[in-house]
Amino acid sequence: MLKKTGLITYLQVTPLTVVLVLFFVIPVALVVVVSFFRYKMLVGLVPDFTFQNYADLLSNPTTWSLYVSTIKFTLIVLLVTFVLGFWISYFLVFHVRNLLTAIGLFLLCTVPFWTSTIIRMISWRPVLGREGLINSGLQGAGIVDQPFDWLLFSDFSVVVAYVHLFTLFMIVPIFNSMARIDKSLLEAAVDAGATRWGVVWNVVLPLSKTGIALGALFVVTLVMGDFFVVTVMSGGLSGSATSGIFNDLQFLNYPRAAASAVILLIVVLVIAASIFRLVDVRKELVR
Amino acid sequence: MAIPKSAERSEVGAHQGSGEIRLVDVTKKFGGSYAVQNINLTIPHGSYCCLLGPSGCGKTTILRMIAGHETPSSGEIFIGDQMMIGKRPVERGTAMMFQSYALFPHLTVLDNVAFYLKMRGVGKEERRQKAEEMLQRVQLDHLKDRMPGQLSGGQQQRVALARSLITNPKVLLLEEPLSALDEFLRLKMRGELKSLQNELGITFVHVTHTQPEAIALADMVVVMDTGRIDQADTANVIFDRPKTPYVARFMGGQNVLTGTVESLSGGLARLRNADGATFEAATGALEAKAGSPMSIAVRRDRIKLRKRLADQVLSAVNEISGIVDSTEYQGSYIKVTVDLGGGVFVVNVSDSEYFVDAVVRGDLVTASWTTADVHTLSKVDMGAIDDPYLDATQ
Amino acid sequence: MSASPSYGSRPWTFYVLATLFTLFVIFLYGPMIAVLILSFQGPSASLVFPLRDPSFMWFDELFNPRRTGDVVGAFNRSLPLAILVMFLTVLISVTAGFAFRRRFKGATAIFYTAIASLIVPGLVLSIGTLVTFRYLGMSANWYTSALGAHLSWALPFGLLIMFAVLGRLNPSYEEAAFDLGATKWQIVKEVVVPIVFPGMIAVALFGFTLSYDEFPRSWLTVGTKNTLPLEIWTMTTNVTSPALYALGAVTTFVSFIVIAVALASIILIQRKRFRGK
Repeated sequence: MLKKTGLITYLQVTPLTVVLVLFFVIPVALVVVVSFFRYKMLVGLVPDFTFQNYADLLSNPTTWSLYVSTIKFTLIVLLVTFVLGFWISYFLVFHVRNLLTAIGLFLLCTVPFWTSTIIRMISWRPVLGREGLINSGLQGAGIVDQPFDWLLFSDFSVVVAYVHLFTLFMIVPIFNSMARIDKSLLEAAVDAGATRWGVVWNVVLPLSKTGIALGALFVVTLVMGDFFVVTVMSGGLSGSATSGIFNDLQFLNYPRAAASAVILLIVVLVIAASIFRLVDVRKELVR
Repeated sequence: MAIPKSAERSEVGAHQGSGEIRLVDVTKKFGGSYAVQNINLTIPHGSYCCLLGPSGCGKTTILRMIAGHETPSSGEIFIGDQMMIGKRPVERGTAMMFQSYALFPHLTVLDNVAFYLKMRGVGKEERRQKAEEMLQRVQLDHLKDRMPGQLSGGQQQRVALARSLITNPKVLLLEEPLSALDEFLRLKMRGELKSLQNELGITFVHVTHTQPEAIALADMVVVMDTGRIDQADTANVIFDRPKTPYVARFMGGQNVLTGTVESLSGGLARLRNADGATFEAATGALEAKAGSPMSIAVRRDRIKLRKRLADQVLSAVNEISGIVDSTEYQGSYIKVTVDLGGGVFVVNVSDSEYFVDAVVRGDLVTASWTTADVHTLSKVDMGAIDDPYLDATQ
Repeated sequence: MSASPSYGSRPWTFYVLATLFTLFVIFLYGPMIAVLILSFQGPSASLVFPLRDPSFMWFDELFNPRRTGDVVGAFNRSLPLAILVMFLTVLISVTAGFAFRRRFKGATAIFYTAIASLIVPGLVLSIGTLVTFRYLGMSANWYTSALGAHLSWALPFGLLIMFAVLGRLNPSYEEAAFDLGATKWQIVKEVVVPIVFPGMIAVALFGFTLSYDEFPRSWLTVGTKNTLPLEIWTMTTNVTSPALYALGAVTTFVSFIVIAVALASIILIQRKRFRGK
């Protein structure tokens, strides 16, 4: 009975497949289809097969500058979250001696993930603003005379918010990979004369590779696909690759928004595919 | 404390010095409980030493303290003339082979073996060549480009061995090295470890919970019980003349009997147990007092077993009676377990003797032996309470 | 025998990393705590410190729809939606997780589709779902299109957790139960569910919070009536009073209750398992 696959397996996987087809495959396919449609004022969508939307977008320097800005944010956030995620996981796995303490501290890191993203963004306002905690603290301590303007509604605050929101996506997979490393591997490396740094470089880092890749996958797709964080935290000063979509949608220009979405999708998928190529993430996921 | 005889060699890697290991009053506490307590032990240079005991007895802790992966709470550890406390593992001239082998899963077999050389900054070509030579020695050079996950357990162990030996250690520390192998490979590797030790002439410290393994390999067997050393001696002495009831039980091969001393004369004590049987034993160095309890051990293979008629009365000294509970065929001998009513008694009867008049379950039997085959224990037996290790009589 | 931890002195790296960790935790929680405190701001309506004349007035303000928008209505949509997503996520990802324990044709395709669904930008999906509903001639609504959009993101998460949980479920447990005469349903009820239960709670927690906090996927799919995150989003542009912080405090409080319930039940189950009933 237990060995019999077939019908029952397919029945079990049907609900998942139906949801994925209805709410992922078809919508994404339609986005691709609509991206080749024409847009007519007051009429809306006109079925067609035109590359005009793509040509418009790719010939528009704004598109390119927005992508450059998004990729810049992505790289910075990737670097910061990786450094934080790696060393925090390392601390929890290899430095905290009591397993329960380690799990408790790990949970402490994950709790904010389960609270509202928007609230967490807004909560930086009283901290970073002109009269916020940091500026008033610095002024109160007599370190600066004038409040820093670049703390809020700037590229800086955008990065802060991204790091605040997304570091968890690095910590969890890296922590998972590291926790699986057999502690005797570290001792074996020490036995062979590896220094503390040598152990990290030769043993811990290579064995956390899948976790790092998985974390990078999350962070890249979240930052690349973001519109709201960058808008709220830059005060509308910075745009993202998705800003174009937002603008087009305001004018109900679905075809061009769809074309933008397709370009974004391709960029994200290319990055994701190259991460998958680099590291066999599936092995990690299925384990 | 020993005064260093010659100039200290602190250079990493050049381990020409003595591989004698000395533990002085070593204690290790984890939180509030003692893993080992006041251990004093000297393992001679070039010997094969087995630390033997059930899990949790502290044998692995001792090994890890020698390796430098644990720091003693108090006490001193010397290798050769040098104090080891505070030294990094790599400075100790020890190499450890882990129970799990601890092969780096992301490195090829060759890179695993070359790891030590890489850490020392040896160039890629040179270290690969040296690692390959080492792999040839363990006959694995044809697998050098495989990953550890692609190897069998036996092959992984050889790689681990090669990785340890490339450090040119004066002490090789083996943590339950044979436990993950199947019976056939275990016996094969056991022989190989022994001949390797002979060939290299360095000190081997081998942690195990298997008695036959320890007896077969070791020049020196250290039997441990909950953080303490019960007896450290040659395999022969440990097996033949165990000091304590614990060692006698743990090593197997002995029956432990306890009785009250009735009389003493000419270095001989006469005991009587609860069932009324009497035994004689040479007290030796032991101070015996009439009226006090005393335990003795009798080797299983030195006992005569014969059927007894129901009306026969026990009269002789060194005789005990019971009902056969089970017989187990062991090839060259038959292990007969006799139920004494208050305990069990095991007799190993040689096959030639056994089949003359075979006993079966339920037979009433008498077991007897000579006083010369009795060995006095220095402690009174408190019984083997629920200890699976002690009941696993071989 | 497992390697026991060493109780020697801690290396200097411990102190460096402990400091880093502490700073990170302050970084994580500091702003949230600031918002919580400022939600008790008095009538000065100042959005920054110091806190003057602490009061509950901004919490009252939340229930005054003319000033702050339809917070109560948004909450009354967000909560049932999150609960719905939670139940469906548990149900669907658990059953699918079991299917993936066996090999079947199309497993790889479905797996990669799920992963793609996880990493596709939410905004793209939002547009796609809206267009799909238009073509179907249906209007977008929180309990149809938004529900689907949320599921397409919560399900892959749930599936990944189930992989991790079921990877630890040794098939011999089921075989043993089968040998002992259990029926298919008895095996599920008596053996599988008790073992997998903590994992199911984790899936439920993910399902609930991913939906309750989701913004990009809700944006075009909720139709004319906002869910809570969208309501907050509009408030960030219209409302410039501490009522915004009060709302933040309230939603965070709801989140914390959900997290606490989930964690507490997992801990209780684990405890029972170790200590017996």
